[in-house]
Amino acid sequence: MADEKKMTEQESLDLIRNMIQKAKGSYHETGIGSLLWGTVVTIASVVTYFQRTYDFYIGFDIWLLVLGAIIPQIIISIQEKKSNKVKKYEDDALNAIWLVFGITIFGLNAYQMIVPDVTDKFIQLEGWQLTKHYLDNTKPDEPIHTFTPSIYSLFILIYALPTLVTGMVKKFKPMLYGALITYGLFIWSCFTITEYDFLLGGAAALICWFIPGVILRRKYLAQQQANV
Amino acid sequence: MFKELDPILHSQLRLAVVSLLIGVKEAEFTFIREKTNATAGNLSVQVQKLKEAGYIEVTKQFKDNYPQTTCKITPKGIEAFEAYVQALQQYLQVGKE
Repeated sequence: MADEKKMTEQESLDLIRNMIQKAKGSYHETGIGSLLWGTVVTIASVVTYFQRTYDFYIGFDIWLLVLGAIIPQIIISIQEKKSNKVKKYEDDALNAIWLVFGITIFGLNAYQMIVPDVTDKFIQLEGWQLTKHYLDNTKPDEPIHTFTPSIYSLFILIYALPTLVTGMVKKFKPMLYGALITYGLFIWSCFTITEYDFLLGGAAALICWFIPGVILRRKYLAQQQANV
Repeated sequence: MFKELDPILHSQLRLAVVSLLIGVKEAEFTFIREKTNATAGNLSVQVQKLKEAGYIEVTKQFKDNYPQTTCKITPKGIEAFEAYVQALQQYLQVGKE
């Protein structure tokens, strides 16, 4: 671009518009983070569905895969931060939202692991117990442990939140639509048994993160090729 | 009475740089060069002029042993850009009448 070229007023306005579009249209997200989380959460959810439905165990807790994905995510974040040539105003706010999302998921997991045991202890201290009673009396009553019914529905609800905010702020339709569909999946999961909640959760991870991740990755690679 | 177009901004490359920076928090020199298709030498001179006018802030640092130059628009730069766009619109409006 030459500097001293005389511009008409219209050319100046066109240049401003063009440059603002170029800044807006620059994708510095590589899409790898979305692909990573979309993949691990989908796999963990679907495996859990099959384990519960067909009553088998793969030998380890599949959700450890999700926990393990934090390490590559940290590496990806550091590398993306290093390679980012531009920082947008919304970046800090979106990073904060995804961090809060991570903490919320961690907190909900802790709730799921701690609260039933603690409730059992309180119930024992009060001198009573939860019992499964068959209305038709075909089987004898049996004591049961406290559990959080259909808690995976809450996970699905939370999956949609940062995805919707990102989709709205970035005007990235795949995430926007993905989040809206996920709200639908959340409502659906309120009416299904826990096994199906996991299947719906897998679908939510697929449409919230995996598919947008594929689209982001393609856009990023296309931009990288254009810059060569 | 027409506002005079700011001579600092009424230059193709400088206007391109400020228009890029107006929409982002900060950008590296290499990003600006990529988007404006300018040569490093020419861009360097124009960035310096914008810096001297107080329209942008330029930070030089080392990142992984490589020099890195980051540019950021200042409040004065935002004000000047807004005034420039208003003046342009005024000119174009009169042209239409």
